[in-house]
Amino acid sequence: MNAPVTTGDAPATDDVVIGDNGVAIPRFNHGGTGWRSYEVHQRERVGESTEKINGAQLASAEYAADPYPLLAILRENYPCYRDWINNCYWITRYDDVTSIFTDEANFENRSKLWYYGIEGFGRDLREELPVLWAWSKAMDAFAETDTQRLIEGFRKGVTDLARDFAAQLPILLLGRMFEVPDTELAPFAIRYRRAQRGVLWHPTAQETGKGALLELLQYFEPKLRQVGNSDTSVLAAIAGLGGTAADVVTTLLEADHETLHGALGNLWMNLLSQPGALHVVKSDRLAMKIAYLEAMRHSPPVITSERFARHEVERFGKLIPEGGLLRVSALAANRDPRIFNDSDQFIADRRDICHREARGHYRADGLPQGIAFGMGRPTRHPAVPEDRPRSLYALTRDTAVTASWTLAQKLPGIALEPGFVPTMRCLRIGEVFTCWQLPVAY
Amino acid sequence: MDVLRDYANELDAEVHSTDPGGTITFPLMPVGQTVDMGHDTRGKPLFDPRIFSSREFFRNPYPYYRILRDHYPVYHDKLHNTYYITRYEDVWRCYFDDEGFNTIPKGSSSGVLGNTQLELSGIEHRRRRNLYGQHLVGRSLDLRVPSIQRLARDMIRDWDNQTDTPWVIDEGKKRIVELGMAFANEFPVRVVCEVLGFPSEAQKQFYYWYNSMMSGLGGSLTHKQGLEARQSLEDYVQDLVEERRRKPSFLKDEDGKIIGKDIITKLCETKVDGDYLSTEEITSNIALVVAAGGETTRGAIINMWYLLLQHPDQFAALCANPDETWDRAFHETLRNSSPIGGQPRHNTFDVNMHGMHVPAGSLMQMVDFSANHDDRVFKDPEKFDIFRDDLYSGKLLRSGFMKEGRCSHMAFGVGPHLCPGAWISHQEAVEGSRILQRTLKNIRLCTERMPKDIDGVSLAPIGIVRVPQLWLEYDRE
Repeated sequence: MNAPVTTGDAPATDDVVIGDNGVAIPRFNHGGTGWRSYEVHQRERVGESTEKINGAQLASAEYAADPYPLLAILRENYPCYRDWINNCYWITRYDDVTSIFTDEANFENRSKLWYYGIEGFGRDLREELPVLWAWSKAMDAFAETDTQRLIEGFRKGVTDLARDFAAQLPILLLGRMFEVPDTELAPFAIRYRRAQRGVLWHPTAQETGKGALLELLQYFEPKLRQVGNSDTSVLAAIAGLGGTAADVVTTLLEADHETLHGALGNLWMNLLSQPGALHVVKSDRLAMKIAYLEAMRHSPPVITSERFARHEVERFGKLIPEGGLLRVSALAANRDPRIFNDSDQFIADRRDICHREARGHYRADGLPQGIAFGMGRPTRHPAVPEDRPRSLYALTRDTAVTASWTLAQKLPGIALEPGFVPTMRCLRIGEVFTCWQLPVAY
Repeated sequence: MDVLRDYANELDAEVHSTDPGGTITFPLMPVGQTVDMGHDTRGKPLFDPRIFSSREFFRNPYPYYRILRDHYPVYHDKLHNTYYITRYEDVWRCYFDDEGFNTIPKGSSSGVLGNTQLELSGIEHRRRRNLYGQHLVGRSLDLRVPSIQRLARDMIRDWDNQTDTPWVIDEGKKRIVELGMAFANEFPVRVVCEVLGFPSEAQKQFYYWYNSMMSGLGGSLTHKQGLEARQSLEDYVQDLVEERRRKPSFLKDEDGKIIGKDIITKLCETKVDGDYLSTEEITSNIALVVAAGGETTRGAIINMWYLLLQHPDQFAALCANPDETWDRAFHETLRNSSPIGGQPRHNTFDVNMHGMHVPAGSLMQMVDFSANHDDRVFKDPEKFDIFRDDLYSGKLLRSGFMKEGRCSHMAFGVGPHLCPGAWISHQEAVEGSRILQRTLKNIRLCTERMPKDIDGVSLAPIGIVRVPQLWLEYDRE
């Protein structure tokens, strides 16, 4: 027999012992195996039953269309919900979510390459300073001009902001950073998005994602040999670090574009849906930034982030085994009424939210409430020394604010198409939660 | 923007797709065929994990497991955060590796059952398993067979004398009976009840505990009911245990002769590391025996009769030689249509299997259903054949998976976590069925009352676990 099973420390053998009675027993079990001692934890009691929700609902079409009601059930009843159907723990309260995000000693996140099963394919170079500098310079340099390009491309008087603005701006910026000419931008965008979607569970998406990764690899191999010397070129920065095409593709894959896409879509849906909200942000750029932060609190594009327990750890009264998956929901935490007043309301000039990136903490000095971490964890370098650019978190925020401010100034009369009621949803479980259709007239 | 028109069009297509992105309804296929879930560029079938929660999968699982065995022997279901192991050889290797794949996920049974040895490994597991497992095998079991036979005869006589119940219909010269309600649902629970040493007046209550706890496992919608039943059982057992600690109780044969102490009495007398077992530990052991001893045997009896009566030639051969053939029928039933799908494991170390890297601590589902249908081991695995020559059908193997060149089925698992109730389950199913076959004349399926498949004509397949109802008819004269 072949030996398909190999374990890190366990003996790998295909020997089988045939006993006197003809019974086959694997040799590595012959005479007994090693053993491990457990702390046996207490059983649940009647009062701890979880009958208000079923794990199947958390992988349902209902959840993809509107996760808020289900996550509110979890947050208010089962703050650390053991989901046997999807084999994970759901963490939904603000303080619990922040405690997991900051606990890197006990919990890890895994790369997108791991989800693809191709760890070692390439390096994620986003934290390298030359790359980060190029990234920040490109975002700062082109956020406004590329927004203007998009506006000039709108059909006269009407457009779909979700499709023609929110979805396209991140691609234009990535094109700048990775030296993709306009003529190649659409196929690049299609491959890039397919590669992003292939990370998750859908079989067709996985397959097309793998194909897209290979196509991107082939696309960047020749480009890497003839990079320009612009200080806004991430491609040139990667080449300068001796990076390969696989490094370029890995950096792109780990970066993703959908958070900026989702952030823009959700911000504008809220601004256009709430009476008076647009008026608040039109006159003051700082007000646009506050509205952006509020949009990230109220409607973050990422429903959950995945964290895996590095080792067996007891949290929230549960014994979480090594490798245990925690679905940590910023979306649920940001609606936690223990933290935010009128937490279900979008208030463009909300006061009980931190208006600047906290210095290494989720509660900024002197401010009553936490920040909204809809875009993920802020930088670990909050003081931003002079030799270091802002974090990708801050860059995304500033780009979204610049683009939205530009849009508001250029199209002062913008309004939702009469009668249209915009909604947010995931196209598939686990994907970005955003508004996909936002027809406007201006 | 013009340069991104193709990109925008692809987005539009996805936004207007009919796939809602979450659970979907799959079409129901003829048994043995699969829904087309797409193919890769080389023609390999793709696999959509949403199928696992579909009605289609529950009635027609085996062709889907074939896809996994043939193309994804270690399938990573990212939607449910689970790895599926589906080939026979891989499953037995993992079951035997008590160090690498040691226990079921902690807490998965404790929600309702309490702290049991299912969540332990190595010497701790063996010690606890043996506390009661020793009473369910060998000489201890042989002594209990007469009482199993008596219970079966009593139950059959009871419903054979009944009229006007929803599950026993008298039509003069023939009777129609739903075997689950009339016999198979309750028979294993009564056996367990007797073996444990519960008073007979508690047996009806015991049936409620059993049903409620089983349906309340795993965070189900009836979880609370399961916990309440467990609490009720614990309250009852507490008094019983205290009584047994003062006054041991004995099992007796039909002549009233003492054949040994009941299991609760024995558990009361048991010491681990110098300490007597606590009431909670005893209750957890009882809850596990109840849960494990009921569902598996109930499913085995119903599935075995359903399959046999759909294969009249094999049933006739069995009736001609019942002493030797019931064991074969039992084993082939558990291979073909086991009521237990498999067992979950956590891997202690990082594992590489078939090119798949599985990080330590992952949930790896050992799919006994699939292993039992692996055509690398069993010829024509979908065929029910009690006379097949590639299945070991002798006395249950205590630890091995193969004897005399033939493999055993995986329905009870193999290795250190082999079901300790396998032997008594075997005895219950075979002895009970033997008595049914002897007692009821010209027994046959009542096809008009049986659930039908999607064509409205064919009998419903067993699918996952067991057929929901089994209507039989037999002659009264």
